Amino acid sequence: MISLHNVSKNFAGFQAVRSVNLTIPQSEIHGIIGASGAGKSTLLRLMNLLELPDTGEVVVNGQPLTSLKERKLRQARMSIGMIFQQFHLVLNKTVYENVDVSLKLGGMPKAQRQKRVMECLQFVGLENLKDKYPAQLSGGQKQRVAIARALANKPQVLLCDEPTSSLDPDTTIGILGILEDINKNFGVTIVLVSHEMDVIQSICHRVTVMADGGIYDTVSIKPKGISKVSSDPRNFFEQLKKGGEADDA
Amino acid sequence: MPEILLQYQDEIWRSIGETMVMVGVSIAAAILVGLPVGTLLYLCRKGQIYENPVVFSTLNLVVNIIRSFPFLLLVVFLIPFTRLVIGTAIGTAAATVPLSIIAIAHYSRLVEQSLLDVPRGVVEAAISMGASGKDIIFKFLYVEARSGLVLGLTTSIISFISYSTIMGVVGGGGIGDFAIRYGYQQFKTDLMMYMILVMIILVQLIQFTGTTIARKIDKR
Repeated sequence: MISLHNVSKNFAGFQAVRSVNLTIPQSEIHGIIGASGAGKSTLLRLMNLLELPDTGEVVVNGQPLTSLKERKLRQARMSIGMIFQQFHLVLNKTVYENVDVSLKLGGMPKAQRQKRVMECLQFVGLENLKDKYPAQLSGGQKQRVAIARALANKPQVLLCDEPTSSLDPDTTIGILGILEDINKNFGVTIVLVSHEMDVIQSICHRVTVMADGGIYDTVSIKPKGISKVSSDPRNFFEQLKKGGEADDA
Repeated sequence: MPEILLQYQDEIWRSIGETMVMVGVSIAAAILVGLPVGTLLYLCRKGQIYENPVVFSTLNLVVNIIRSFPFLLLVVFLIPFTRLVIGTAIGTAAATVPLSIIAIAHYSRLVEQSLLDVPRGVVEAAISMGASGKDIIFKFLYVEARSGLVLGLTTSIISFISYSTIMGVVGGGGIGDFAIRYGYQQFKTDLMMYMILVMIILVQLIQFTGTTIARKIDKR
């Protein structure tokens, strides 16, 4: 569960987020959509205090992050996973080490870590690539590593900042499928920021539309299902042709 | 073996030993002090995790001032300080003081630059995972910057060799001093050339080793 009360963020005169109130219940997949500069990424980054708000309160998993001391905040962040558009993996660490490092931060003993890393890699289907370096992987595979890393500490919340925006449609479907599985199997609350309507509509239960740093509206939707994200360029071509015929007639 | 080398072999070996001591101490100072100082320079910069304008500007200024000195003047300028630390300003041990100071200033700047090459996102990912400052430095920054840190140290070591050659002015000895006193000043040009050859081989070896290690550990 995430709640934002009257949260604002200003970057050197630019009001990125203006007094936002938003509550996201446990186990919801919540989409945030809006044009570039609407403040959706900033809003997401406020949810784990990657950006410190100028005003307001951020409460995640019952903990008021905005009033926690440094140590407690770090602990709270371990139950808030995050993935990024550009993955942000450590390129000098193997797939295995990238996942392992997040467990090391929590001080887990080695034997337990080994088991947990392999569980996470199996979940995203990368156990065979555990000794590869990120430079040897495709974009989709890198995002899977990032997801495994974010999941390692069994978070209650997963923040996703444009996770599919640098991936092709097929890979996008794969990643969205994993996110949906995480939500279904582990009850993880997912906040999904994207500018792609298709992506938001496919798996989100509720959607917040942002404009000019404020919330324009929050609506419940029925997820359309991942299959509705068109992956095959031929579909696109067919649609174009249909459009063309309609015009002819 | 040319006869002149045999004739001076004791002096040559001693001067090589002196160079090794001077450069060795410089390397130790660079790693033990230069690396932390460079890391602090990076961390205290605007927008970094320990942003602190006062610490940053102070360190930045000190490093710049040390590096502005023509090295020979730095050696002379530091004589009182050297005497305070070592008890004398003359000899190989005394020579390591100014060398260590320039080594710290030199390598810390290269460390800062290597760390600046680490993508911001990696640090952000670390913070989002709940990493502490120490974790961010040792488990993320140094891992991602390691080949730059090695290449920087290689460049620094080669500069230290060059700096060490003028330590003859305070009786520090070393290959450079030997080449000047025996080769140049006593008109034994061939001896000077042999010493230059030794330096060339030394630098080649260090550069080759550094480049090879940096390439091996770079998986980016």
